[in-house]
Amino acid sequence: MLNRRIFMTATTAAAIFACLSAPVFAQDKPFDGVQLSVLMEGHPTTDAIQKLLPEFKTVTGIDVALEVVPEQDITAKMLLELSSKSGRYDVVQNNIIYVPGFVKNGYIVPLDEQLAKYPQFFDKADFVPGYFNTNVVDGKVYGLPVYGESTFLMYRKDLFEQYGLTEPKTFDDVEKAAKTISEKTNKEIAGITMRGRQGIEGVYVWAAYLWGMGGSFLDENGKSNLATPEGTKALDDFARVLKSYGPVGVANFGWEENRLLFQQGKAAMTLDATVNGAYNEDPAASSVVGKVGYVPVPVQTQSPKGGSSSLAVHSLYVTADSQNAEAAALFAAWATAKEQQLKSMASDPNSGVTSLTALNGESFGKRYGAFKEAMITAINQGNPQYLPTIEQANEVINNTGIAVSKVLAGTATAADALKEADQANNAAIGR
Amino acid sequence: MAKRTDPSRFFYQPIIAVLSLTSLVLTVYVVWLSLRDLSLMRAGRDTFVGIDNYIRFFNDPRGLWALWRTVLFTVLATSIEVVLGLAIVLFLDRNFALKRLVRTLLLVPIIMTPVVVGLTWRFIFDPASGMANYLLSRLGFDAMDWLGSPQVALYSVLIADIWQWTPFVILLSMAALDSAPSDPLDAARVDGAREWQVTWYVLLPMLRRAIAIVALIRAIDSIKAFDLFYIMTRGGPALSTETLNFYGYVVAFTNFEISYSLTVALILTIFTNVALLAMYGVLFPKNGEPR
Repeated sequence: MLNRRIFMTATTAAAIFACLSAPVFAQDKPFDGVQLSVLMEGHPTTDAIQKLLPEFKTVTGIDVALEVVPEQDITAKMLLELSSKSGRYDVVQNNIIYVPGFVKNGYIVPLDEQLAKYPQFFDKADFVPGYFNTNVVDGKVYGLPVYGESTFLMYRKDLFEQYGLTEPKTFDDVEKAAKTISEKTNKEIAGITMRGRQGIEGVYVWAAYLWGMGGSFLDENGKSNLATPEGTKALDDFARVLKSYGPVGVANFGWEENRLLFQQGKAAMTLDATVNGAYNEDPAASSVVGKVGYVPVPVQTQSPKGGSSSLAVHSLYVTADSQNAEAAALFAAWATAKEQQLKSMASDPNSGVTSLTALNGESFGKRYGAFKEAMITAINQGNPQYLPTIEQANEVINNTGIAVSKVLAGTATAADALKEADQANNAAIGR
Repeated sequence: MAKRTDPSRFFYQPIIAVLSLTSLVLTVYVVWLSLRDLSLMRAGRDTFVGIDNYIRFFNDPRGLWALWRTVLFTVLATSIEVVLGLAIVLFLDRNFALKRLVRTLLLVPIIMTPVVVGLTWRFIFDPASGMANYLLSRLGFDAMDWLGSPQVALYSVLIADIWQWTPFVILLSMAALDSAPSDPLDAARVDGAREWQVTWYVLLPMLRRAIAIVALIRAIDSIKAFDLFYIMTRGGPALSTETLNFYGYVVAFTNFEISYSLTVALILTIFTNVALLAMYGVLFPKNGEPR
């Protein structure tokens, strides 16, 4: 018992001493002892940052309480806190499509002043410009990109060679190739596979068809304008190629199912996120290593209203109600600095780095060389408006997803489904 | 007047008071919110809109279809589970060597979390490599698109729900059966009743209360069913599995329209209460004990 009492006393004394002595070391660490609450997405980059947090503590003395939530739930979770001005989170991570709404509502704050104080972490010139600029609103920097990706078309070089096909440049080429391979292999190998699941999954891929055919989500007046000839053709073609030459059950395919099918060599083409390249080229999980060609997302028209490859950027933002805004900005700068990005590539499968140093580094080339060039082309052509970036983005995507799903399931024609989506979207936009 | 002096009231009255106060305050708050147009994307800019949200619901085909799907799912799930469960109970109502083991095994689906059940069934229903289609192919049938076809998806989720919750019906009915006296059954047999007559006219009426309770619990759970839909289909394809409960979730957490979502939830609550009261009235008639 005595031992235990001594132990307790010693621990308490040590704790008190630690508290008292903290200010002594504070000169070069103005934020020593500060607690930051950070909300991030479940993603390889987040795992990597989590592993590096002790280093951040050593350098700055800041304690970071990191909360990790699946991407699909993160917006609702942060909005509940942001809208009630609880100050629960100092730093949050989200997709750029929400930035305009967040800025308009005053949920997040500009970081220019704070970032200027930390040149050792913040180096604007080192970010991929296409990623960095998505966070600039009215000339002010609101966030720093953690990871980004685009989309491209992946095709099986070996099968294309076997059946005398050339790399697809238009959606007609895609359909022709899908038809050939599906017929020649007697449907053993699906001509093409894409995500068909209702919701953002299906819309994220279908939007490539929409832009590539010359359509767009919104017209010049900001109204939903999907039921145009271009939009209808985009949906008709997307559904037809999947229904005729796609795998069974494609209407319920999410990112995972789609990726697995292609990795297993059961499909000749897929159009999806650039991160899939990292999975295709992973010998431990993929049977198509080295057999995949990567080309930009096809376009059908000579004059599209916007690029047909996406630009998805996930960034760190500092909340308006944070009590430690400067420490929060410091964390955002540190977490996205090139040193951390280089380390993250070593510890986790991260092909979405946003630092040019990391992207052009040796390690990236060695791991992801097979699709690096196609990925950079896709990013440079990436369309920041690929998904609508308005306050009601989520609802517009949801309504559009219903239209895509209905046509894919054969319960409505493209024209009717898109007209219905337009009505629902415009009701939401007008609300 | 014995009630007044009963000291046990000091134990239950405060609890009842707190519970009623909580639900009253919450209900009033929800009703008040449903009369506004609160959206998480427009914080602080919400206004009073009266019954607009309710009018919107009854002009919202997506919401009305979701309500219909909830009704369909609840009726099918409850009735199939009760009938199937009872049939199994009657089948198991005999002494056999592994009775205890069978009872224990029956608990497994109930104990499993719905997320695991949903994922398991999603793999079983996988069109390319799932067991369901493998079985069909062995039996000489064509492959089915279990979760990807809008005509089938709701029933696929229903199968998972039936698999998980029929054992619950079995357990409760079995307990009721075990505690039921066996004399009336013997008496009926002595009087020359055939075995099906004994079951139909004597045994089932004795189980009536237990069955009614089980059916009520299952109906309430089916109306609120969410996990299986979330894991297996997320309301797709083409909205074919979107129940009203799920629609309320989408409105709140995809569209961020809190007020309209609460309206949907309130309407669901009202419908549920009316339906359950009606069901209760049928199952437990006021005048006298069931025959």
